[in-house]
Amino acid sequence: MTRSQEHNRVPGQQASQDDDPFPLDDLVLDEPYRFRVDGRVYTDAHLFALEMDRIWRRSWLYVGHESEIREPGDYRTAVLAREPIILSRGEDGGIHAVFNRCMHRGAALCRDDRGHANHFRCPYHNWVYRNDGTLVGMAQKSGYGSHFDTSELDLVPVPRLEAYRGLIFANLDPAAPALQERLGPSAWYIDQWADRSPTGQMSVAEGVHRYSYPGNWKFQLENGVDGYHGNYVHDSFVKILHRAGDRSRQDVVRARNRLGSNASAKGLPRGDGLLEREDGMLGTFDYASRDEYRRSLVEAHGSARLQDILTQRNLLIFPSVYLFESHIRVIRPISPTSTIVDTIPTRIEGIDDAINTERLREHERFFGPSSFGATDDIEIFVLNQTGVQAEVPRWLDFSRGLERERVADNGERIGHSTDEAPQRAIYREWRRMMLSGEGPS
Amino acid sequence: MISDGASGAALSTERAEAVLFEEAARLDARAFDAWLELFTDDAIYWLPMGVEDPAREPSLIFDDRARMEERVFRLMDTAAHAQLPPSRTQHDITNVRVVETTADWARVACHLVVHEVRIGDPSQVGLGDVRSFPGRCEYVLRHGAEGQWLIAEKTVRLLARELPQYNLTFIV
Ligand code: FES
Ligand SMILES: [Fe+2]
Repeated sequence: MTRSQEHNRVPGQQASQDDDPFPLDDLVLDEPYRFRVDGRVYTDAHLFALEMDRIWRRSWLYVGHESEIREPGDYRTAVLAREPIILSRGEDGGIHAVFNRCMHRGAALCRDDRGHANHFRCPYHNWVYRNDGTLVGMAQKSGYGSHFDTSELDLVPVPRLEAYRGLIFANLDPAAPALQERLGPSAWYIDQWADRSPTGQMSVAEGVHRYSYPGNWKFQLENGVDGYHGNYVHDSFVKILHRAGDRSRQDVVRARNRLGSNASAKGLPRGDGLLEREDGMLGTFDYASRDEYRRSLVEAHGSARLQDILTQRNLLIFPSVYLFESHIRVIRPISPTSTIVDTIPTRIEGIDDAINTERLREHERFFGPSSFGATDDIEIFVLNQTGVQAEVPRWLDFSRGLERERVADNGERIGHSTDEAPQRAIYREWRRMMLSGEGPS
Repeated sequence: MISDGASGAALSTERAEAVLFEEAARLDARAFDAWLELFTDDAIYWLPMGVEDPAREPSLIFDDRARMEERVFRLMDTAAHAQLPPSRTQHDITNVRVVETTADWARVACHLVVHEVRIGDPSQVGLGDVRSFPGRCEYVLRHGAEGQWLIAEKTVRLLARELPQYNLTFIV
């Protein structure tokens, strides 16, 4: 097929009769001066199923925060690549994760998304499990006779469960590398995020801002590290800031475009990425300049780290979670064209509670479902989803900054804050995982 | 402005309905500046979620008067993408009850269903669906200086308040 035939190909007419309806290595084109992604990665049901198998079932996925299950018996439910699980704090103080599925005939054990229980009792035939998953009771047990082996009827633990700085991750792939090994250079950024607390502890607020949108999950991935859209998508918010006198409008626009050593967009190995701004995101509540707070950070972490800790970052841990200054953002694909996003506001432990309350109010202002910011991003995802229904124009272009990005020794690709370096990192990893029959290595 | 004329009278159900229906009419006419005029200067407009403690959890909306004005400014004077095309709404109010009243203060409860649609090119993703947002409201009304009843607090408990929300950028 020539380039022009390919470009004008009628959707649905496939050259290959293989398992894959179109060649997977053709979907992301990583060329010297050009980086392109095929629009069908956002629409195709077969690709979505492959994403679930090859990416989501083999990645470390964020499932919860340790502060949500502080006491023995606390539990919360979560979804791990579409499989329902229960996270709980056992009597031993350890964190357990089991599938929310009775070993008898498969009923879910927990209906509430959080609670406190020492045992899980199946509503169907009353089998009872300790919250670490051990089967401790079966109704009318004599019916099973003396040869029936119950040793394999404990609730099945999630294959891999590890935490880093309070963030709990799980992985369905038993052969996955250790979490910290997978995190690599991203761990340093998580450290800066958590050390915004003088105690090094973040916790989460009790409520969750939860979005759904009729669009592909990768639009949210691309957007959280996109420094190119701010002036345009968030023009409404910029005007609100201007009106409120937060900063003059020109300052706002200039600051967004500034290229400094600490205002950059970075693509990290393994699909992670970040957007960072030394002087913080505009319009966010400026607690970081308060003397008392800064003193507490210097005391706890040393003055040399202050700037690193206070640099504002959106950090993506591919494929499931973002750490924003004000919240943890969890992405859950439902179908190629449907996504749920939880934005979970954080609390900084060890500081004046009034600051955390103010942070909640600011969070509502930009990030909530009725906010003046994130709601406009969501609308763009839906415009994306509408646009990619046109399949004749095949490519989306992610080349911005390709010629000026710098590759650091640790593999980070560092670009201007408006460059598409993080998006390229996402699709390089997407392509690598989609093409490998193996899990991450 | 809705005035009782005679000050000193407790709030009747009819008068309470008149205030709420007038608010609904102004919202549905997208007369948002006029909507603000129905509120006191220290008003709160609140859409709570689960534990109803703004210090412990985020709310869907927890606006003081300044943020209400921001919200109206955004709808009237900026090109907010989430409202392009804008929401067409219909606020249906029923079950109005005056729960408590004195001469200059009253607590009023009602049921609310906001029907909402964005037209634009209705063949596009995200447009063309009529959506309904049921909820229960609690109002605190205060007698203003000119004898009118003003809204000091509007709390809306959406039935689906903890569930995923999609485009809640109109005023409920
Ligand atoms: S399905 Fe759980 S006890 Fe039968
Ligand atoms: Fe944005």
